Order: sequence, then C-alpha cells, then structure tokens
Amino acid sequence: MSTNIVTRRRPRGFGALLSWLAQLPLAIWTLIVLAPFVMITLLGLRSNLDIYAHPLGFGGSYHFDNISSAWDGPLGSSGMSTFFRNTIIAAVTALVVNLTAGTTAAYFATKLSDRMRTWYLRLFLLGTVVPFVLLLIPYYQAYSAAGLIDSPVALGVAYAALGLPNTVLILNAYFRDFPKEITEAAALDGLGEFGCYLRIVLPLSRGAITGVSMLLLVWVWSETQLGLVLLQDSYAQTVAVGLLGFRSQFTSDLGPLFAGLTISMMPILVLYLFFSRFITKGIALGGSFR
Amino acid sequence: MSTAQTTNSLAPPRTPAEPKRGTPRRRPRRLGTALALAPAGLLILAFAGYPLIESGYLSLTRWGGIGSPTWTGFSNYSGLFTDGTVAHAALVTVEFAVLATVGIVVLATALAATVSAGVKGRAFYRVIWFLPGIAPVTAVGIFWSQAAVPQQGAVNVVLGWLGLGDEHEWLAQSSTAIYPTAAAAVWAGVGFAFILILGATEQIDVSIYEAAKIDGASRLRQFFAITLPLIRPVLAITTMLEFVWAANGFTMVWAMTGGGPGTATQTLPVLIYVKAFQFTDFGSASAMAVLSGAVLLVLGLIGLRLSNGRETSR
Repeated sequence: MSTNIVTRRRPRGFGALLSWLAQLPLAIWTLIVLAPFVMITLLGLRSNLDIYAHPLGFGGSYHFDNISSAWDGPLGSSGMSTFFRNTIIAAVTALVVNLTAGTTAAYFATKLSDRMRTWYLRLFLLGTVVPFVLLLIPYYQAYSAAGLIDSPVALGVAYAALGLPNTVLILNAYFRDFPKEITEAAALDGLGEFGCYLRIVLPLSRGAITGVSMLLLVWVWSETQLGLVLLQDSYAQTVAVGLLGFRSQFTSDLGPLFAGLTISMMPILVLYLFFSRFITKGIALGGSFR
Repeated sequence: MSTAQTTNSLAPPRTPAEPKRGTPRRRPRRLGTALALAPAGLLILAFAGYPLIESGYLSLTRWGGIGSPTWTGFSNYSGLFTDGTVAHAALVTVEFAVLATVGIVVLATALAATVSAGVKGRAFYRVIWFLPGIAPVTAVGIFWSQAAVPQQGAVNVVLGWLGLGDEHEWLAQSSTAIYPTAAAAVWAGVGFAFILILGATEQIDVSIYEAAKIDGASRLRQFFAITLPLIRPVLAITTMLEFVWAANGFTMVWAMTGGGPGTATQTLPVLIYVKAFQFTDFGSASAMAVLSGAVLLVLGLIGLRLSNGRETSR
C-alpha cells in the first residue's frame, strides 16, 4: 500500500470554492442521515398536540410520560419492557450457541486437508445465499410441531444457526493466518490441541470474535420476518416484531409510538458507537448482516 | 511482545517470519476434529439445508397449518398462474429491488468517491453514515411511513418550506407507494455499500491520480477514467448483493406499507407471508417460495461466483 499522507497544498481562490462545494453534498447527506434520529428522539418526548403543531419535534414542552407508556405498553398488551427481555433472551441464546459452535468449527476446520476444508466451508458459503422465503414455512411447521412457537430461546437457536456462515467463514479466514509458531510452542509445552485452542488461540482472537459477535447482534436486534412468524403472542415478541403491533395500537397516540422507536434503537446504536471499528472491519472481511 | 498490542485488533498477531502455507499437513483423521466440526455442520444442515427439501415437499401439498399435509401434486403450481397475483408481485419485487439497488449503489459510489478524494473526516463519515443500517428496520420503516404523511409528515413539511407543496400522499396512492418505500431502503442501505466501495477506492494507488493531475485531468475526469474502472469488480459485487437483499427484503416493505394500498407494493416475500400466515394456504405459499426462492438462489450463486472469495480466499 502506498502512503496516503501526501502533502496537500492549501487550495486558493477557485480551487478553495470547489473543495468547499465538494463538502456540501457530504454535509447534506450527513444531515439526512442524522435528522430522523434527532426527530424520533424529540417527537418521543412530545404530547400529541405538540406533535400536530410542530411536526418535526422542534417546539412544545417535554412530556416524559411517553417513555413509561411505551415501556409498559398499551392496556391489555405488552410494552417495551417485555420486548426488551425477549430480544435479550434471543440475542444471548444466539450469541452463545453461534460462538460456541462457530468458533470451534472455524478453528478446527483449519486442521482439515485443503480438499475437506473446501467442502466443509462450502456448506456455510451456500448458507449465505439461501433465500429467507424458503425457510419460513418449514420453520413454522417444525416449531409448531415441537411446541416451540412463542419461545424466544428457540428463536435464538434459529438465529444462531443462520448466523453461522458469517462466523465460520470470517473466523476461518482469520485462524488460517494465525501464526503457527505460537500454537507450535504451546504444543511443545505439552498443551493438547483443544487446550491450545481454548487457552492460547481464543484469548488472542478477542478482536475477531468481537467483530462477528457484533454483526450477529445487530442482525438479531433488527430481524423481523422470522420473529413475526415464530412469535405470535405479543408477550413473547422481540423489540423489532413488537414495534409493528405497537404501531397499530398507538395510531392516534404518536408520542408513545415515537418513544417506543427511541427505546428500540438506543441500545444497539450505543453499542455500535463503541464497537463500530469491529463492525466495519468485519464487513471488510466479508461479513454482512445475514 | 507483539501480541500485547494486537490482542484487540482484528488482524492476527504478527510474527517476525511469515508462516509458510502449503507445507504438507498430517492427515488429521481424528475423532476430536470431527467432534469439533459436527455441531456447526449439523446446525447449518438442519436450519438451511432441510428447509429447502421441506419447502419443496410442502409446495406439492395442501396444508392449513394444522394436522398433516395432503398430497396434491403440482396443482399449487398451476394455480399460481391462474390470476395475475404472482406475476404482479414479481414485477413489484423487481421494481423495488431495482430502485433500491440503483439508489444505494449510485449514492454510495458518489459519496465514496468524494470522501476518498481527500476530504477531511472520513472516519467520522464512515461511522455516522452507517447508523441507519444499525437501527432496527421496523423502527426505520415506521418513522419514514410517518414522515411521508401529508402535512404532518417530516418530508412533506420540509417540501412545504421549499415551496414544493406539503400535500403529497405517496403512500396512500397505488401508483406512488413504492417510491417512499424504496427511498427508505436506500436511506438504510447506503452506509453498508459505502464501506465496501470506499474500501475499494482506498486501494487505488494515489500516484495514478497524481499522474492524471499532471496531465491536466479534472476531478470529474479522474473519477470516470480512473476510479470507476478500477472499482468495477467491487461495484458489481455490491450491486448483486444489494439486489438480492432488496428482493429478499420483507421488513422494510411490511413496516412501511404492509404491501398496500391494496396490493400495490406487495413484493413476493410479502405475498408469501400473507398467503401462508393470513390465509393459511401454506401449500400455495410454499410453491411461490420455491419458484421465487430458486431465482434468488441462482442470483445469489452468481453473486458468490462474482465475489469469488470475498469470504473464502481472504
């Protein structure tokens, strides 16, 4: 790679105007990206009257009751508190199952012969292109036969499996570049293959594992299609699915609806701001959100 | 030790000497390896392999969601073409996917080209522009459908200020409902494509641009003569990926319009969901899923070929 540090002459006159104009579209796009987040937050704190008077949220008084209305949910139905709990259950299940099975598979696949490894990884590569529409009905059939409808844990297992292609392919590429000197030294010291994986490789791979975990988490937080099918009762629904029911119940009460949107986005956005480096790196390594 | 600095990064710990690839491996026919590989292999077979077969079987039956399916042969398939529902949904799907893909790729390319042309703050843009892709799609869809409401919606309010009228009822009219839906998908999708394309533009050697500058090529000329040809492989992959994702996409359409008004924005994934879970006609829905899924599967495989190892060979 060549260095990007080129001494740049400060543009003058017409050149300065041009470079300023080049910034303008970027500023406009940044505004379009950020405005909805600001508006959702503000509208979530306004009363209905204020929302009709100031549709963008700039104006009116603060109305913090909306947050508790959204948190508790409409009468006779579930609120954000319930949806949150379910999302967390599904996400934790997905993370535990996905990382346990996926990381182990990704590492031990490097021990296979080239031919075997190609075949094994091809399973996961095909998994990246299986269309969702082909999964829904068989899942519904199998889950209802097993009595697992309305179970966030069972949904989490499906998420774990569908997230495996990302985890296995990214981590396998990473583990193949893992320096052999380190694992060989550990073997000389008498550490078995599995012990070496647990005590040497895993601790040194925290960065890569954080990357795939974040990709999985962002996807699980947003996933709706499968959740909508496998979680029928509002009591069992995740944040992304529950919001849809929210909308139909808060049609005339926009404040709590927007407060619900705020609550649904906040945790994942904060997590992203802390770990964005890992996410963009994971994408550069070939990851995606499913 | 070098390991101390690298534990937190995604790059593998560096060693002084490059490890040699391709040294003969010992045949590892060991039970331990097989046991370590089995759980992930079984999970992916059970959750991504078996459903394909089951979908194929269900598409040849009549099933109402309870009890066991009744074998009906190919009648579900012939039934698909008696009315125009499926053809209409296929058209809507293509329209939505094309609109979203073109919007995403064009915007992302323009933004990436501008940022890589030496604009300050690329780290900032990279983080901020990705935010819409992180927020839950349902939340995004609900917000934008609210924003498209006449007079009260944010988009109409802003257009009103600009003197362009604030009475647009895009979502209420069959002829226009697809546009705000695709626009919301673009808003949410640009960040991801931007990262892929920016990565490609950053690989281009700056000396090429400097040579072009000496030869008197303008910024615009440089973009079309250097940047665009050099990032074409990544553009092709990105376009393919975005198209497949958009055509698969259910959530944005469902959250924005629910497929309406009427069936105006009913894409295939929405139609399949409605057919199965609202009309409990799982057989026909499976037949639709098999047909549209086969097309998407082929497109996806072409995309894999194109990217040939965006994931494996890295």
